[in-house]
Amino acid sequence: MSESPAFELPKVEGVDVEFVPPNLLKLKGVMARKEPSADVAQLFKHLHRDAIERRLPTFCVDVTGLTFVNSSSIRLFIDWAVWVKGETAHRYLLTFRTNRQITWQTTAFAALSSLMKEVVSVERM
Amino acid sequence: MAELTMEEQSRQRPAVFMRFRPAWSYIEGIREFGRFFCQTTFGTPELAERACIVIQEALENAVKYSSNATKEGGELELLIQSDGTTLEISVSSLPDAAHLAQLREELSDLHTLAPEQAYLAAFLRAANEQDKSSRLGLARIRYEGGLEVSLQEQDGGRIRITATGKL
Repeated sequence: MSESPAFELPKVEGVDVEFVPPNLLKLKGVMARKEPSADVAQLFKHLHRDAIERRLPTFCVDVTGLTFVNSSSIRLFIDWAVWVKGETAHRYLLTFRTNRQITWQTTAFAALSSLMKEVVSVERM
Repeated sequence: MAELTMEEQSRQRPAVFMRFRPAWSYIEGIREFGRFFCQTTFGTPELAERACIVIQEALENAVKYSSNATKEGGELELLIQSDGTTLEISVSSLPDAAHLAQLREELSDLHTLAPEQAYLAAFLRAANEQDKSSRLGLARIRYEGGLEVSLQEQDGGRIRITATGKL
C-alpha cells in the first residue's frame, strides 16, 4: 500500500495545505472565498478517491488551524462526507480534528457527525 | 415619529456604520474590522468570532443578490451596535425580486424550528441536494452566531436583515 496520494497538492488561496502520509490532511488559514469549489473541492475529491484506492480505514482532516470559513466552504466538508457515505466498494471513516475553542468548528462538525454518524467522527482538541 | 436610519442609529451609542458598493472584495476587510470592533468594545473573543460569522454571511447574501449594484442607492449599509446588553448587526441592501421572495421563504422556514434544529435541517438539505449553493448562511447566523434574524422591507425596495441577541 502506497503512503502518499498519487497527485500534487494544489495551491489554495488563503489556506496552507499539507498532506501527512498516510492519511492526514492539515488545513490552516481562512476559507471564505466566493467560489471555493474550484480548487478545494477538487483536492477533497482527489483525496477521497485516493483513500478508496488505497483502501484506507480512516482519513483525518485536521482543521484546528482553519480559523474561519464561510458557508460555501462548510458545504465542501458536507459533500466529502456525502461521497464517503455513498461509497459502496470501500467506505472509510472521515475524522475531523477540531479545536474546541473555535465556534464554527464545534458547531459544524458536531452537526455533520450527528447526521452521518456511520462515516464521520470528530476529535476535539 | 419617523424611524431612524441606520446611520442615525449609529450616532446614539458605540457603533460602526459603513456604506459601500456591493462587492465581494470588501467582505473580508469589513468582517475583520467587525471582529476588531467587537473584541475591543466588548472584550470577548468568543463574541467577536460570532459577530464575524454573522457579518460574513449577511454580507455574502447581500452582495450575491444585489442586482442593482451599479444603481444609485444600490449600496450596502452595515450597522453594528450595542446598548450594553444586546448586540445588533444589520445589513441593508437593494436585492433583486427573486432573491427577496427566496429570502422571505427561507426565513419563514427557518423560524419554524429552534436554531439548532434549523441548523441541522440546513446541513441535511445541503447533503441531499445537488444544487451547489450552500443556503446555510441564515441558519449559521442563528445558531453559530447566536442571534435571531428578522427581515424588514423598506421603501424603494430596500431590505434590512437584522441579527440581534444578548451580548
